[in-house]
Amino acid sequence: MMEFFEANKDIILFTGVAAVKLAAFLGAVMGFAGIMTLAERKVSALMQDRVGPNRASVFGFAFNGLFQPAADGIKMILKEDFMPARAEKLLFTLAPFFALVPVLLLFAVIPFGDYFMASGYMVELQIADLPLGLFLILAVSGLAIYGVFLGGWASKNNFALLGAMRGAAQMVSYEVVLGLTLAGLMMIYGSASLQDMVRAQGRLLFGFVPAWGVVCQPFAFVLFLTAAIAENKRTPFDLVEGESEIIGYFMEYSSMRFATFMFAEFVEIILVAMLTATLFFGGWQVPYLYDTGFMFPGGALLPLGHHLVAALQVGAFAAKTVFFCWFLLIVRWTLPRFRFDQLMGLCWKALLPLSLLNILATGAVLTFLAR
Amino acid sequence: MISVKKVNNKPLNLLERIYLYEIARGIAVTTRHFFANLFNPKGLPTIQYPEQPVPLYGNARFRSRHRLKVRSDGSPKCVACFMCQTACPAYCIHIEAAEYQENSVEKYPAVFNIDLARCVMCGMCVEACPEDAIAMDTEEIPGGAADRTEFLMTKESLLRNRPGEPSLKGAANRLANEYLGSRGEQ
Repeated sequence: MMEFFEANKDIILFTGVAAVKLAAFLGAVMGFAGIMTLAERKVSALMQDRVGPNRASVFGFAFNGLFQPAADGIKMILKEDFMPARAEKLLFTLAPFFALVPVLLLFAVIPFGDYFMASGYMVELQIADLPLGLFLILAVSGLAIYGVFLGGWASKNNFALLGAMRGAAQMVSYEVVLGLTLAGLMMIYGSASLQDMVRAQGRLLFGFVPAWGVVCQPFAFVLFLTAAIAENKRTPFDLVEGESEIIGYFMEYSSMRFATFMFAEFVEIILVAMLTATLFFGGWQVPYLYDTGFMFPGGALLPLGHHLVAALQVGAFAAKTVFFCWFLLIVRWTLPRFRFDQLMGLCWKALLPLSLLNILATGAVLTFLAR
Repeated sequence: MISVKKVNNKPLNLLERIYLYEIARGIAVTTRHFFANLFNPKGLPTIQYPEQPVPLYGNARFRSRHRLKVRSDGSPKCVACFMCQTACPAYCIHIEAAEYQENSVEKYPAVFNIDLARCVMCGMCVEACPEDAIAMDTEEIPGGAADRTEFLMTKESLLRNRPGEPSLKGAANRLANEYLGSRGEQ
């Protein structure tokens, strides 16, 4: 037995570390998604001068609504799992998985820290550092359309199908913009690996401005955020669902099948927040923090231990993620819904030309600087 | 003749058509509310109702749970005349009359039930009562029960008056007062 471990030490270690990273990161994401369902209701309540859910309690302790996600989950599980008589049974069952799995898959390429030295081993704080991570994100997020469309199609309901058509049209359109806005970043950082892009954002411009994506590509940031919210199917782009007047693709879904669609949406909020933080706000970078500690532009030094630096970096990434999740919630509860022709017009007539212009301008500046 | 109101919508200027500035302004408003309420939750207008009672204002005080007034000897002022039961538009009052053994001039309600689950709180029973025996001024808001039977007010529960309330005054009590006086129980 010991010989087996000795012979395959590398593989076992690699597998073990990967499993621990997966459990930790995905566990954190899933837990945070649960809290997001509460946060959505609390944030919307507070900005509308309401209180929000605060009654779900365990043994009389409500903690201002902290048990609400658990109560929601129990309620969802206990609800009747309805399936229309003429629905495509297999596809109807598969659709929620198609909605959730691609979103969860994408967390693999997001770096949540630099690296971590544990008893002589270097642990990369990223589940999989793919050289073409950015393309993987674009490709796999395209798969999420299947969840929407299969859900609408398999329900054998005309309203659900119409919702699915709207969803497919919207997601296909905004996918184009999403890809084009990221092209500028790839041109600047010269890599499609997210870890490389984050490391490149640790440089300083003019000696004191961190070279974050938002500084180099402010225009692309606005376009990316718009397209990402549209990809996420949230207000102001929630024509796919439009729960208050038009009916969405999951109208025949109930119980945990519906909850899976809903949960996928909340996980996607976290994904968009993490992508925004990673691509445009330096990911795990803390300004002026390097491997050995803080190095301020004036020349002042503040040496820090390795573990503290790693913790600071992971903490910075978490803080940025929480901030953007909050920001997305605020946006969702502030803006009214677009009309469908406005939505398509915004994509094809405004965002697409602007993102192409952004690529052109980035290329021109890069050529000029290279000279 | 249909009247037509002509609305002069101002055309959007460039800043408004770019839309981002207006979005930022909208987000500023909601963010301001968010943080104001986050750091000062006491400032929210929400009332945590069942735990936090609300002082009723105006006529709302006279549209609360019913009560039956009592005389000083504890007997109900109600003479079981069925006026309130007749006036009730929701058919929520049920009365069964009985006679006092020693007093042949007067009836009393042996059963007086009000089904609060059916009551529409209109106050017609109070208007109809010739004896001023029923009132809706307890300032208790009915509602919120786990069982329908909890909504059923019986005579005993309706006689829960506010303290210091029994009254011997008024023409409505004349007969009773005379009777009680003749028995020397005044």
